[in-house]
Amino acid sequence: MLLSIEPDGPVPIYQQIRDRIVEAIALGRQPAGSPLPSTRQLAVDLGVNFHTVNKGYDLLRQEGLLRLGRKSGAVVRRDANSGPPDPGWALDWTGRLGTLLAEAAAQGMPATDIVRGCQAAMADFAFPAASQEAGNGSGSSP
Amino acid sequence: MSAGMVAVGLTVPVIGALMCAAPAATRPTVQFGVRVPREHAAAPVIRRERRAYYWRTAAIGACCTAAAAVAMQGYGSWWLITIIRMLLVAADLGCFWVARRKIVAAKNANEWFAGLRQTIVTDTSWRTDPPCFPVRWLIPALAVVAATATAGALRYPALPAHIAIGLSGPGHRPKSVVSAFSMVGGQLYVTILWTGLLVIIYRSRPDIEAADPAASTLRYRRFLATYTRALLTLIALVDVGLLLVALRDWQLVRLPGISSAVLAMLPFAAGVLLLAAVTIRAGQGGWRLNGNVRGLAKAAGAERDDDRFWKGGLLYVNRDDPGIMVGARFGIGWTFNFGNPTAWLVIAGIVAAPAGLAAIGAAAGM
Repeated sequence: MLLSIEPDGPVPIYQQIRDRIVEAIALGRQPAGSPLPSTRQLAVDLGVNFHTVNKGYDLLRQEGLLRLGRKSGAVVRRDANSGPPDPGWALDWTGRLGTLLAEAAAQGMPATDIVRGCQAAMADFAFPAASQEAGNGSGSSP
Repeated sequence: MSAGMVAVGLTVPVIGALMCAAPAATRPTVQFGVRVPREHAAAPVIRRERRAYYWRTAAIGACCTAAAAVAMQGYGSWWLITIIRMLLVAADLGCFWVARRKIVAAKNANEWFAGLRQTIVTDTSWRTDPPCFPVRWLIPALAVVAATATAGALRYPALPAHIAIGLSGPGHRPKSVVSAFSMVGGQLYVTILWTGLLVIIYRSRPDIEAADPAASTLRYRRFLATYTRALLTLIALVDVGLLLVALRDWQLVRLPGISSAVLAMLPFAAGVLLLAAVTIRAGQGGWRLNGNVRGLAKAAGAERDDDRFWKGGLLYVNRDDPGIMVGARFGIGWTFNFGNPTAWLVIAGIVAAPAGLAAIGAAAGM
């Protein structure tokens, strides 16, 4: 998996690390059970502070996507095939999605463009076969 | 003029040639210690400064070689050649500094990095599927050390009360375990030091390109594997040189007309030539190797402008970077992160070990 960050960009580095790993899981590049470098190794490879990587990994652990163990290291805990998410998490995510879509609407983005953007972003995600068919069925008439 | 003097004198043109060729081995995106975007790697100022550097260092190398030849024939003094060697390195570094200053000025004036998305990319497979250290290539060096120690142990009881030992010429010293086995100590120091540094290098950050991370990781894997094998061969050859010196010190072989320095130098020179050939062929981090595999992902960003962490373009100082060693900016190899306290501990260990060996020798009356 290629992990790319912009160290001088506006988004904090720990958030970028978290985002790139979430994207890799969604794209099927890091399936459940696959290993990731330890915090120290990733900090060396990116040339950033150890605590920065630790913070990014800790976010992923809190979200239930990563398992951190002393012996096993960092391992992806779940992916698209691991079943539906917790109801609490889905509720929280719906709230954040509403804010994200509201930003686009507030900036005057047409609804069709918003839907097209969502579809393009999801195009490469590794959904389970059943939900992909359901997604395609509902996505034909936005 | 002795063979030892010729061997010492030859270091001047060799160092001059290596300093002159260093820019050719460095990545195109790092010119004289200055990070440049790929699209500016062939800028006129860079081509001009590279050309000027080659001419200047070639001229300096030729002058210093001529001076060394005169010093060898006319005076025959080692210290004069040492001074010429230091002057050569200082003058070449001056040429480096001149070229670097002009490239930095052009980079800042034309804002080469303005508007570019600067990124750091890593390939996590480097850690999840790490390269294996070629332990088998360490066997020749260890075998030579073991053979030297065994020969010394068998010969020790029959050694005279005073033995002639050392690289710097015949000097009779009282027989003791420390004096008799000093070459074994040297072998152990070289073998442990370089193996330890290689282990640190294997744990360090791979020197990969942000624009082509997957392919450059593959290239770096090949570079590291080749470099490690060449370096372990060099270590074995250094140990062989010290073995030859030890065999003569122990009067097991007679090699009239050849000084101890030459005995140690010949295998070492062969190893250095092998290492230089391998690394110049591969380029720093393996950038000259063919690592383009169809289907590998490319990144959209440019390299990060990290000049602020490189003092004088040569010394890496980054307190936030937990890495102990990083790829060198000029020439081929690695350098320490002088902002990391662990790196200073390693350097202190490297310096303290021979000082400790010398102290043990002094205490033993050598």
